[in-house]
Amino acid sequence: MPREHLLKIGVSGVRGVVPEFLTPSLTLHFAQAFGTYVGRGRVVVGRDTRLSGPMLQHAVNCGLLAAGCDVVDVGILPTPTIQIYVEHIRARGGIGLTASHNPPEYNALKLFNKEGQFFNQYERNELIDLYHQSDFTQATNAEIGYVTTDPGLAKAIHIDRVLAKVDVERIRRRHFRVALDAVNGAGSVMTPGFLVDSLNCRLDAIAIDPTKVFPRIAEPRPDTLGELAALVLKTGAEVGFAQDPDADRLAIVDENGRVLDNDDVLALAVQRALAVVPGPVVVNLTTSSAIDDIALAFGRKVYRTPVGEANVVETMQAVKAAIGGEGSAGGVIFPAVQLCRDSFTAMAFLLDLMAESGKTVSELVAALPQYVRKSGKVAFAHGRLGGLMQALEEGFPEAEADRSDGLKLLWPDRWVHVRASNTEPILRVFVEAKTEEAAEKLYATSWGLLTA
Amino acid sequence: MRGDSGLRISHVGLRGIVGRGLTAGHILDFAAAFGTFIEPGRPVVVGRDPRASGRMAWEGVVSALMACGHEVIDLGVVSTPVVQHALQRLDASGGIAISASHNTADWNALRFLGPRGTYLSTAEAGELLDIYHLRKFRFVGWDELGGQRFDAGALDRYIDDLAAVFDLPSLCGFRVVVDCCNGTSALILRRVIERYGLDLVLINERVEGVQFAHEPSTSARMVELQLGPLMQPLGAHAGFLFDVDSDRVAMADEQGHGVSEEMMLPLLADHQLSRGPGKIVITNLSSSALIDDVAARHGGRVLRVPVGRQAAMDALAAYRPEQIAVAGEGTGAVMMPQFRFIYDGIASMFAVLTMMKERGRTLGQLLAEYPKYSILKGEVRLESPRVPELLLDLLASYPDGRIDRTDGLRVTWPDRWFHVRVSHTEPIIRVICEQRGTPPQELFETLMDKARSYS
Repeated sequence: MPREHLLKIGVSGVRGVVPEFLTPSLTLHFAQAFGTYVGRGRVVVGRDTRLSGPMLQHAVNCGLLAAGCDVVDVGILPTPTIQIYVEHIRARGGIGLTASHNPPEYNALKLFNKEGQFFNQYERNELIDLYHQSDFTQATNAEIGYVTTDPGLAKAIHIDRVLAKVDVERIRRRHFRVALDAVNGAGSVMTPGFLVDSLNCRLDAIAIDPTKVFPRIAEPRPDTLGELAALVLKTGAEVGFAQDPDADRLAIVDENGRVLDNDDVLALAVQRALAVVPGPVVVNLTTSSAIDDIALAFGRKVYRTPVGEANVVETMQAVKAAIGGEGSAGGVIFPAVQLCRDSFTAMAFLLDLMAESGKTVSELVAALPQYVRKSGKVAFAHGRLGGLMQALEEGFPEAEADRSDGLKLLWPDRWVHVRASNTEPILRVFVEAKTEEAAEKLYATSWGLLTA
Repeated sequence: MRGDSGLRISHVGLRGIVGRGLTAGHILDFAAAFGTFIEPGRPVVVGRDPRASGRMAWEGVVSALMACGHEVIDLGVVSTPVVQHALQRLDASGGIAISASHNTADWNALRFLGPRGTYLSTAEAGELLDIYHLRKFRFVGWDELGGQRFDAGALDRYIDDLAAVFDLPSLCGFRVVVDCCNGTSALILRRVIERYGLDLVLINERVEGVQFAHEPSTSARMVELQLGPLMQPLGAHAGFLFDVDSDRVAMADEQGHGVSEEMMLPLLADHQLSRGPGKIVITNLSSSALIDDVAARHGGRVLRVPVGRQAAMDALAAYRPEQIAVAGEGTGAVMMPQFRFIYDGIASMFAVLTMMKERGRTLGQLLAEYPKYSILKGEVRLESPRVPELLLDLLASYPDGRIDRTDGLRVTWPDRWFHVRVSHTEPIIRVICEQRGTPPQELFETLMDKARSYS
């Protein structure tokens, strides 16, 4: 594995392999920088179920106390729940210890501002500068605060916010048969109660032990959800839900054991959200055009942003969006609950759609606007990136071009999006069209231009 | 010292003023060095005094130890002696006590303890310092990190150990006033009262993190100030004042007079030697000559070593525990072999009370039986390069006494002595001289003038 993957201190926060690269000392200093930045007051600290979580949390607590902050320890909780709690108790900010879908040897510090939202790029840059300057607040004995623990309030606040946006009785009456794979992650402490107690589902669950390691690859994707698909078929479940370790992302398995395309998961949520709240839709450039079709049906505008949750969230806030997300990443962001990715909102929306329509998951998906998607990677030599992009653009002079994140070329019925990876010399190529044939053709032509 | 922030990193450990010199980063790195230094794979016992900064330090210590693969056994807010006693029972690699003891509230410190609760030897402490300076720590893999558990029983087991040595119920006849200085002694003594019904009157017994009722100094002046006015009105037989960590103690007699901290070691040497005549008393070059008189009375021997706990520990290592009567300093810090040589003010208090009971004397009467010595102490600020000249000058000036040059210069005559040495922690020269009977005023002034002439 290349060295730079083992530790990354950048605009997205700090992520690395624990404890050799993401050391307790580095974690402490980053937390102290964070405490210096947000100022004295309460900071919420929570984590997913990674084995390194407790060790790193002690370092985070130490750094925050040293900066004169009070620590509100919420223990193991989903990332969206932590974010909601930060806002709810009017804390100065929050830190979530989770490397999301990365392998178990990784961990990371996710940083939230006082609204419970991810730091935007300006806040992140200021924090990084502060960290490098090492000029931290050093609280004296008289200025050092306390560590308090949350008595379980955070879960209830999150669940109440989600339930307020769906027809709970309609869902409860259906007594849905549901399967769950929480990857032994933070969802383990909240999702079973949410589905059974709040939504009256009959639940068959695997991997809901927060004391155990991840039993599968942490990212919920078609090739990692075999056990959940089997459970759905075995128990005759109407739907299967899969979370990532910090329960911000959701994958869905239909009643036939087929894992849904993440773009379709988002499309279903957008359908539900636009029926209940006003405002436009914000998605990244790689998200399916199905979103545009659905928004058009509701008379709403769609904003496109560069790839990355922070980019989507920033624009959502600016345009007061109804809903947003990133198709490929399996994230549904519904600001009426919280401006962050939230698997609980996504679950409730799907069950609500099923209850309202009486349709199965596969029927709901079949009713979505149909597109064919293709994707792949192209390795490129150092220094050749600009030339390749130019070649692609010149190859399709008739297309509309968007250069805000790599290059996206659009036609009325199809598009291709090419962007460089942040970590490797690789171009990612995404193609979408109305038909298999058109998608194949656009992909092959693009591939030819990029590899010539 | 220029811009002194109090930070001291030495063989004794790490200490300083929190947020001024001592930072969270120092604490975590030093704990990681300790986690690397000690035997891997076994637990580490951690306790802290009530200072608010203790929680911050505790978080850093726990994180570092877990990263080194050690399970942390947390004793919560307890005195350093409680941590040391717990280590004697548990199969642990070592311990860390987070306490600045007799320093003011704005200080904190890490004290490192070996697997049996003993202080580190000079060689061990040196190795620990080297690891800290290199900052190459032995972290384990992500799936081998240590856990953490709370042990609420350590305080009671510590009291069990005290009760096994001292007949605590037999001390119920004494009324004793204790100033806890808002520290951990309050937790211990409340439990002792509950268990054995001792007549202890506790003051400043609220455990506090930010503001102590007074400076936690265990001097005769402080104990007289705090307890003096209370002794006669309460009809108390003795009074004791602890620092925040209760490893140090000061005494007041039944009249309300503060007792010099120099008296604790001779008292306990007398107590211990009367049970084991002929044994060795280890003390430093700066403590009272009364110890020599007491030892002579019981056929004991006094071994004087350089000032500092480290020198005492190294001297102790050269003997079997049963050869030693007691070890201690003129500061009132005393170690007894029954408790495997740890400084513990609570144990000292019970030893003094036991002595009073066995001999049927009040504290004042006990003290009156010893020959009177008068001690004078002073200090002079001096540039380090001038120190050798001063010492050579003094050596030439006093050729008639017995010379000891192991720590600065000590010159001893049959009825008086002086000791001039360099402080371990500040750029000052300490001058101490003592004489049987009246104060050695003239000698003291001469020494101070000489020292000042080099400053």
